[in-house]
Amino acid sequence: MFTKAMIIPTGDELAAGIVLDTDAPEIMKNLLAINGSAEVVRIAPVIDKEEAIVSKIKESAANGYDLIVLIGGSGGGHRFSTTLGKDYTHSSLDMILSDKQEGALYGKNGHMWSKLVIGKLGDTLVFNVPGPYEEATATIKAFKDSYKKDSHNLEEINKSMLEALKAKYGA
Amino acid sequence: MNGADDNKVIVQVDKTVVKITGVDVKGLNIQELESLLKDKLKSMVRIIGVTGSSLEMDVYGIEEEDVLKEENGIIKAVALADGITLTDLAQISSVNKIKTVDINDVPSYSEGQCMKERWL
Repeated sequence: MFTKAMIIPTGDELAAGIVLDTDAPEIMKNLLAINGSAEVVRIAPVIDKEEAIVSKIKESAANGYDLIVLIGGSGGGHRFSTTLGKDYTHSSLDMILSDKQEGALYGKNGHMWSKLVIGKLGDTLVFNVPGPYEEATATIKAFKDSYKKDSHNLEEINKSMLEALKAKYGA
Repeated sequence: MNGADDNKVIVQVDKTVVKITGVDVKGLNIQELESLLKDKLKSMVRIIGVTGSSLEMDVYGIEEEDVLKEENGIIKAVALADGITLTDLAQISSVNKIKTVDINDVPSYSEGQCMKERWL
């Protein structure tokens, strides 16, 4: 069971104050529902650059956080529209995590809508949720339920989060 | 919806990507904007990109021409959201329905890459 959790919102539009972060309170609520005695911290949004995201994850893990949740940057749309958010959270996690489990949702046009990754950095469990509020809420609830059943079964946690995400699109 | 394998899932839904320009955006609550647009269009809407001067969204189950017919109503709905101010240039600048590709006829790709890049 985690005792210190860090919530890391990502996105240039969040960092610039263009959009409000309504996801982090929902993430915090669900983490506290797992462990009400945990310390849960939300830091300022990190910009959409892999090195910035990786650096913040490593810094948080080094400071004793044993659970890290990243918000946003899970898709692939920025490759086709310059005004879409940059999706570097999943690629950052791909680079640094071990014992990794992942699942991705694609549109029928071939675009990657969202990739969910969970894995370990040392003793720290790290995973991401999508940025849109409805999807973030559904996936963190799935994490909560699955983690409570078996916090070590990362494959099952990842699968349940992907199922919850699929369900938001009518599956 | 059906899955290519356990961890790569293809979502079989129609959506149209709509871009609105000519707006000033600061402190936007995306949930509120999605709710306003959902009420207007009677369909699911997801805001997928926001800059200080534009909005980009996925609109599900509505054809391109129907989005364009509703342009004035959509702009008015957008204007109701806190954090958005319309300028004289506010307009729907693009509307594109997604094109289906044959998922069974796809070249291989590197991990983390968007599948669409394989057709580019």
